[in-house]
Amino acid sequence: MLIVVCIKQVPDTTRVQIDPVTNTLIRDGIPFIVNPYDTHALEAALQLKDRFGFRVAAISMGPPNAEATLRKALSLGVDKAVLLSDRVFGGADTLATSNVLTRAIELLNLQEEVGLVLCGKQTIDGDTAQVGPGIATRLGYTQLTLVDRIEQVDSLRKRIRVRRKLEGRHEIVEAPFPAMITVVRELNQPRYPTVPMRLDSVDAEVAVWSNEMLKLDVASIGLKGSPTWVSKIFSPQREKGEIVGDGLNDPLATANLLIDKLLSKDLLAI
Amino acid sequence: MKTLLIGEYREGKLLDSTYELIGFAGQMGADTALFLVGSEGQLPAYDGALYLADTAVAGEYNPDLHKLLVLEAVQRENPDYIVFLHSSYGWDLAPRVAAALQVAQVSEVIGTRDGGFEVGCCNGKMRRSVKPATGKAVLTIQAGAFLGVRPGGSPKVTRLSNVSAAGVEFVGYEPAEAKGVDLAKAEVIVSAGRGVGKKDNVQVIAALAKALGGELGASRPVVDAEWVAHDHQVGTTGQTVAPKLYVACGISGAIQHLAGMKKSDFILAINKDKDAPIGEVADVLVVADLMQFVPALTAQLQK
Repeated sequence: MLIVVCIKQVPDTTRVQIDPVTNTLIRDGIPFIVNPYDTHALEAALQLKDRFGFRVAAISMGPPNAEATLRKALSLGVDKAVLLSDRVFGGADTLATSNVLTRAIELLNLQEEVGLVLCGKQTIDGDTAQVGPGIATRLGYTQLTLVDRIEQVDSLRKRIRVRRKLEGRHEIVEAPFPAMITVVRELNQPRYPTVPMRLDSVDAEVAVWSNEMLKLDVASIGLKGSPTWVSKIFSPQREKGEIVGDGLNDPLATANLLIDKLLSKDLLAI
Repeated sequence: MKTLLIGEYREGKLLDSTYELIGFAGQMGADTALFLVGSEGQLPAYDGALYLADTAVAGEYNPDLHKLLVLEAVQRENPDYIVFLHSSYGWDLAPRVAAALQVAQVSEVIGTRDGGFEVGCCNGKMRRSVKPATGKAVLTIQAGAFLGVRPGGSPKVTRLSNVSAAGVEFVGYEPAEAKGVDLAKAEVIVSAGRGVGKKDNVQVIAALAKALGGELGASRPVVDAEWVAHDHQVGTTGQTVAPKLYVACGISGAIQHLAGMKKSDFILAINKDKDAPIGEVADVLVVADLMQFVPALTAQLQK
């Protein structure tokens, strides 16, 4: 039984800066990381591998340099890594991305029966949380989102019981394989690669599948297959709050000014 | 233009956020029809068409069944937009509906402009204006982004026939783990953001919280880095708070964080960067080096 983990290479958004002149993202020098939520999906798959002997495949759609993301997955212990890379996949929104990932999983399923697909609950760059569910619907898999605990896996009956994290409570649900699960951070603590595994991963194969392999209608992928258009990206416009004092040069006087301000608003319990 | 609004019941109660959907549709100038899986005993103050399925039969959430019910309402109403809240319910259900209809989805809409929908990206540092190109589209709106509107009156109810669907089997609910701190009850919250620089500096922020008689909060990156325990996290993935005084220290202001604290009565931001998005919601901004200014403020407060 194969578990497929979908991972994405994303810019480290905590380091993204805005160019004050052009008001656009400064992309130069921004490091790429594995989408943090996906690392928890990967860990969950590896734990299932350790316990039940499932095999794990990691797949990622992206430019050629996204190979680094998959190599990291190999260093953590996945058995197979596939990069879905082709110019015609570029500019894809969530729907077009789902089409590519879906076909890749279908092809993997021809080689080895897929029981579970694991994804992070969302990416930190797009924040849409649509791709996992999009794959589930297209594959006809059961969809389980926001999972914070895997309660039980019955590999014989091919059923899984999970806990979903909702507002102020949890929901326990059970579903048959094949299922698509999106995970939250609380699920686990991702492992680090061991030195030997990291060394092994350097030479391990990352398969690259282009559309020659996937044979998808070009109208359903990339920019053409994307029904959402981003008309512009911009910096939030805002009315700024009142700036009090000169905190950089005179912290003490500013602290006193601020305390007066808070007192006048009756915000300090004296 | 017509919208089908997917409201929500939770633990047997109609959620107030259902009215935010009506507010959103009003802002778009769109006609509305409402969809609810709820109970006859508790109908919304709304005078339009309501497609109602009974929780007692359909369950509070049975994803496969709820999807079919929504699709039935879509077929009858033929809306341009099917609008959910970006809650765990909308999170799970909206993409199912979008995929079933083969239409575009725009997630976590925070505003409308020029026929497009504004959403955050890159951790809230930037916004995108997104236009769906399909005839219909599915939207989810961020909680608190649109003002709730209660039209009043009684809805014209159409009961949806229950179809059966297999798939996910509901086992039960569990309460959330007891939280170490209940930020929702705090009158003052002082939160640490990435700008504190390192774990050791968190105590400086905690000292200010103590001097103000409040609790320590934190933004997601700080919790992710394990500088502060998760139960202190403020934001859509942590707790939503509305204290009398909220002090944001070194928090740039990701949309998810802003959504969790912008209803606070008074917001003070202490930040090195005067242009950080936190300034958007702050009443007062102090531009300073945290490690210089916060200890000085704490010391003055203790006098």
